[in-house]
Amino acid sequence: MWRMAFDIGGTFTDFVLAGAGVAPRFLKAPTTPEDPAAAVVAGFERLLDEAGLAAGELSTVLHATTIATNAIIERKGAPTALITTRGFRDVVIIGRQKRYETYDLHMEKPPPLVPRRAILEVTERLAPDGTVEIALDPESVEAAIDAALAQGARSIAVALLHAYANGAHEAAVAAALAARAPALPVSLSSVISPKFREYERTSTTLANAYVRPVVGAYVRRLQGALAARGFAEDFFIMQSAGGLISPEIAEAEPVRIVESGPAAGVLMAAEIGRAAGEDQIITFDMGGTTAKLGAVDDGRPAVTQTFEVDPIRYRPGSGLPLNVPAVELLEIGAGGGSIARADIGVIHVGPESAGAAPGPICYGQGGTRPTVSDANLVLGYLNPDYFNAGEMRLDAEAARAGIERDIARPLGLTVEWAAWGVHAAANANMERAMRIVSVERGRDPRRFAILAFGGAGRCMPRAWPRGSALRASSCPSVPVSAPPSACWARRRASRRRRPGFWASRPARKGRWQKSSPAWRPGPGAMSRGSAWRGSRRGGVPAICATRDRATRSAPSCRRAISTGPGSRRRGRPSMPPTRRATATATRRQRSRRSTGT
Amino acid sequence: MSATAIDPVGLTVIWNSLLGIAEEMGSTLRRTAFSEAVREGDDFSTGLFDAEARLIAQGNFTPGHLGSMPYVIESMLDYFPREALRPGDAILMNDSALGSGHFPDCFLASPVFAGDALIGFVVNTAHHIDVGGAAPGSQRVHGVHEAFQEGLRILPVRIVREGAFEPDLLRMILANVRVPAKVEGDLRAQLNANQAGAERFARLWESEGAGVMTAAFNAILEKSEARMRELIGAIPDGTYSFDDRLDDYGPGTPPIIVAVDVTIEGEEIEVDFSRSGDQVPAAINAYLNYTRAYTVFAVKVFSDALLPQNAGGMRPIRTKAREGCFFNPTFPAASGGRAAVQIRIFDAINGALAQALPGRAMGAFSHWSNPNIGGIDEATGKPFVMYDLTFAGYGGRADRDGAEALAPVMNCRNIPIEVHETNNPVRIHCLELIRDSAGAGRHRGGAGLRKDIELLAAEATMTLLGDRHLNAPWGLFGGHSGARAETVLNPDGNAERLGSKDVRRLVRGDVVSFRLSGAGGYGDPRERDPGAVRRDIADGYISPAHGREVYGVEEKERSE
Repeated sequence: MWRMAFDIGGTFTDFVLAGAGVAPRFLKAPTTPEDPAAAVVAGFERLLDEAGLAAGELSTVLHATTIATNAIIERKGAPTALITTRGFRDVVIIGRQKRYETYDLHMEKPPPLVPRRAILEVTERLAPDGTVEIALDPESVEAAIDAALAQGARSIAVALLHAYANGAHEAAVAAALAARAPALPVSLSSVISPKFREYERTSTTLANAYVRPVVGAYVRRLQGALAARGFAEDFFIMQSAGGLISPEIAEAEPVRIVESGPAAGVLMAAEIGRAAGEDQIITFDMGGTTAKLGAVDDGRPAVTQTFEVDPIRYRPGSGLPLNVPAVELLEIGAGGGSIARADIGVIHVGPESAGAAPGPICYGQGGTRPTVSDANLVLGYLNPDYFNAGEMRLDAEAARAGIERDIARPLGLTVEWAAWGVHAAANANMERAMRIVSVERGRDPRRFAILAFGGAGRCMPRAWPRGSALRASSCPSVPVSAPPSACWARRRASRRRRPGFWASRPARKGRWQKSSPAWRPGPGAMSRGSAWRGSRRGGVPAICATRDRATRSAPSCRRAISTGPGSRRRGRPSMPPTRRATATATRRQRSRRSTGT
Repeated sequence: MSATAIDPVGLTVIWNSLLGIAEEMGSTLRRTAFSEAVREGDDFSTGLFDAEARLIAQGNFTPGHLGSMPYVIESMLDYFPREALRPGDAILMNDSALGSGHFPDCFLASPVFAGDALIGFVVNTAHHIDVGGAAPGSQRVHGVHEAFQEGLRILPVRIVREGAFEPDLLRMILANVRVPAKVEGDLRAQLNANQAGAERFARLWESEGAGVMTAAFNAILEKSEARMRELIGAIPDGTYSFDDRLDDYGPGTPPIIVAVDVTIEGEEIEVDFSRSGDQVPAAINAYLNYTRAYTVFAVKVFSDALLPQNAGGMRPIRTKAREGCFFNPTFPAASGGRAAVQIRIFDAINGALAQALPGRAMGAFSHWSNPNIGGIDEATGKPFVMYDLTFAGYGGRADRDGAEALAPVMNCRNIPIEVHETNNPVRIHCLELIRDSAGAGRHRGGAGLRKDIELLAAEATMTLLGDRHLNAPWGLFGGHSGARAETVLNPDGNAERLGSKDVRRLVRGDVVSFRLSGAGGYGDPRERDPGAVRRDIADGYISPAHGREVYGVEEKERSE
């Protein structure tokens, strides 16, 4: 049977079609932000056409989406009312009150999802153990419902104090709402997030109510469109914690799918790790704007019980807290498009990003400020002639000029050194994030491998095993879009086959270097001489490691630099072969092999 | 100055690593602490020093601690010379004059060694919710005349040897506090934080080498100083003065004059509090370390909010106050409640610098409320201390309204109602913004905040720590003052008005209603965008009558 998966990202919607015994097919299509389902339906049909299949031949469709996240970030959810305990209407306005920048008194708090006028009170009170101190006053409930309906609320959140211990009052409010307005969706804190700490619980419940009509309409439209094309089997949506849920659950509790897309990347890492015999993995997913770090502990993606959505400048405490299980991810403002600048004699990278538009200077689309990708191009980590599988050419001269102007000249460095500095500063940001994900959360980095993916991910992590004491680093061979790949990897692994993700068997050094030039040693690695080697795990073509004896000898940053780009790597690197094509071919071969046996 | 040169790339990486170590110490402390103040409230700070006792890096925590840290190691070295220190040692200290101005803030400093060589220090300070003394929470203002009434005073002692607490010292400390389990838990968390920081600091040092690290330290301090000088240099020269006052230092006492003269001269700034009142016989005096901490904070706010803090950036800032003045008292001046003063230090400097930098200034803050309620919890039979933090609004700013309900000056989180009610015998009846309390202006201030707390235990002692009950938070450039604060005992009974630093015995069923002041406005309210006024009416921040009378905007109240 055939299965299809798709993931809606900010710029592209990615598809993968997988069937027993054949190579998976991939498709990348521009996202249609005003109606995300449109791109999905179009891509769905195109991929089936290309494979010569009918929708009825699919057994499963899997979906990861950022629709809930975007509705929150852009504040484009439905008009929502929040019903709460009398005396506490300001809980979501007050929040936890700590400034995310200590010295900035001109900052803004994250705006709540609803204006104060849409926060309504009912008379009732519970004690911490759930006993009723003041019974719910039905008249106050009716008054709150009147106000909500008068305001045109299309969704209702109910979050009463101590409702985690006793949901009876919330249920009574829901019953009253059902009697008055049966079609109005109601989200109860005792159902969505029955945990203590009123701000976080209310925030979660409110976010759920706020995105519910948007997600519901989208899911129904998508389901209808797929059904109209003859698909009648299982349709699942990925939730933030990594499991799959039905469209009905996604519609009732959309707050569960806020981190849907990024979660899939960590699942993929777990599957790859399983196949490779690595069960302790730090994952690193770097795109144009941000990098997201996660972890796989004992073979399972690490899950957190709370996270923040829509943080400001990626500062902890600046977003809206959501108390729902999610794959643990730390997001930092360090992507390929992160802008570099020189200030008080040091190099700063991000959180400001050139994003996809105008993008890095080297894209030639109007970007004027040097970015991490520009530095990586100058350093030879990116191939100007074969970017995005040859679909884009990069302007190396413009990137050089930008780095020279903004970094090299102000700091008195050569362009290569300046580029190395940008690369190193971005790496330092990531290393800090890496420490948070590892040691601060109780993971001994010496036991962990790192898996890097995402558009920009593979240029960066080579230097970390030294700085962060991580043991090994590796990356999938194709520029994967995580969610379809993850689905695919899971499937493969479940059949006890090796995923064909690894570039090539790195056991033979020569071939490894030839087929994956992006993984040649960077300047940091070069300083260690022969530290750059393939995997030493017998027979497992998995971890292309800088498993690092050099860690203990701990080469300093300075020493790394001293043999860095200025001396060794000034020239343009030899061009990578068509990496993606090679890898795809390899995968196809292996795939055929594995079905043959 | 630096013998070895350091390149910008290496400096970038090392500086980031040092800041990362300070942050990691903080998260270790938070994750392993026992008390609500540390675990929930983030009332702590961390720092890294070099072997010369110069502050090199700090985490992004509360500035009163951060700004008092620079001299802490120097003071400790007077008691423990470098050669007396061993790996695994930690020195504890909570003296008001040497530390951050009151006994609850306990500093724990650990020397860091690379091999046998002392390479620096890691320090953290945490607010302990009780260190003994006259009242639960050790912050009682009224009726406390000298430091000896305030609890345990710890001059630097070596409380940890070879990574283990000295049991004798620990026993003595814990015997003198009301909540020994929480104090011990927090002390151990402080040691965890230092151990985590020291290990990383030593590893960084060993991987980079002494020469590079020393060069990096020098460069960090020099560059920070140079940037601070540049920023101060951009402020027009002159002396700018401002006078404000604190309500009192207990029922029936006179106001405390807060007068500041800020002099900008080239690339240096001097902030002189000498015209302020004398030290007072109550536990609210601001020792110079504390005055300096918030002076540095204010200067940073007016210059570059994001510049990392270290000794270099503080060099061009001089804080002065005559000896015996409220802002530079002499021991044994009592100071447990000095936290009430921090906002006023900022307000006064803000008022002065508004003349030089009107675009960076803001109306006066709502004050805050930091009461402690302590007694015996009948559910457990043990003492409890409810340490509370309530924050209201910011003053109106040049380009927008003041923020609603945000930590002013100090930077802590509040303590959730459900956490308070679960851990302490109290019931909180409301926590809500107060209508019509915000100072009107083209950009209005944030609203005041009301919180009503009922005692469920048989009896308890309550010490109040607030202000702006008598002197409203002022507005700037035509902006109005916010509404004054009130503290009312039993608002539905005889509604007795309490002073902002009152001390009361509460009995079961007593309700204390805290009503924080509104923050000051910025600019003439008649210039306010009528759309913003209507929005405020619809959201209940102001009444239609207030909109009409103060802003000149007619709007009917929407029914809800």
